Amino acid sequence: MGLALSIARHEASLDREGALDTGAQIEAFLREVEARAYRIALVSVRDRGEALDIVQDAMIRLVRRYASRPSAEWPPLFYRILQNRIRDIQRRRAVRSRVLSFFGGTASEEEFDPIAEAPAPRADEPLERVTVGSAMQAIEKALATLPVRQREAFMLRNFEGLDVAQTAVAMGCTEGSVKTHYSRAVHRLREMLAEHGEERWYE
Amino acid sequence: MSDETNSGFERGTKRVFDASVAALDAATRSQLTQARHRALGAREKVRDGAWRWSLVPAGALAAALALWLTVGQQPAPPDAMQSAALGDLEILLGDEDLEMLDEELEFYGWLEDQPEFAGASDNVG
Repeated sequence: MGLALSIARHEASLDREGALDTGAQIEAFLREVEARAYRIALVSVRDRGEALDIVQDAMIRLVRRYASRPSAEWPPLFYRILQNRIRDIQRRRAVRSRVLSFFGGTASEEEFDPIAEAPAPRADEPLERVTVGSAMQAIEKALATLPVRQREAFMLRNFEGLDVAQTAVAMGCTEGSVKTHYSRAVHRLREMLAEHGEERWYE
Repeated sequence: MSDETNSGFERGTKRVFDASVAALDAATRSQLTQARHRALGAREKVRDGAWRWSLVPAGALAAALALWLTVGQQPAPPDAMQSAALGDLEILLGDEDLEMLDEELEFYGWLEDQPEFAGASDNVG
């Protein structure tokens, strides 16, 4: 038993040395993706606290379960976890909404309007920031009207820059489905933003 | 709409998104940094506990040896009891990550519900 303990400790020590590189790599990866992941989660759930929780949970799960996988696999795995967490929140909200409506309450989800809810720009806010903010609000509003799978495909491909294969892993579908969802999303978003005179931002 | 027009649109939305990320406030960035540190801390905890878990198969082997020495001297039990004991030993000696299996089961369960799914499980890790 003493020998087993000693071997186990020695192996753990070797593992720890080899893991230093992995630790630095995964920290760099998380630092690179965290802000974009938060923004994607925020677009999907529209709640700052929940978006932060989702990103933290995705980071913890990636680190705990997939840190030993090749770093090239981290982006699709991370976004697969992130999308699963987002869907969990959305499912929970849908159930809560049904329960509330059953008991005669109001479902706040249906009443949410990203434009109306957005804070008004402050007088001292730089013009560039106001412009970006209003353009992003218009995109978010248009995204909110898309079917879930189209919205996921658009955010992963366009915002996060995953390729088709990585997006397929993150979404858990075929590459053909990703292409279809993405193409439909682009056409629909373009139409909606043009209808509201917002196309000038994107040319 | 032409592909060229669409690609201009795609570049534009990406630019707006990147700018909105760059404009994130300091408080949010700080909370994200804290979340990252918590995640990396979780990894350290897993690693610190790993060597202890590596003793489990050794302990199980010793227990199996003791069991064999004790029970091996007795008359042979019925077949059903033998196979149940072997099953227990397999579980004790196995090194599968049950937590990971749980997440994968959840993922494949969800995947099955997708109407457009057709053999995507071959592509996932």
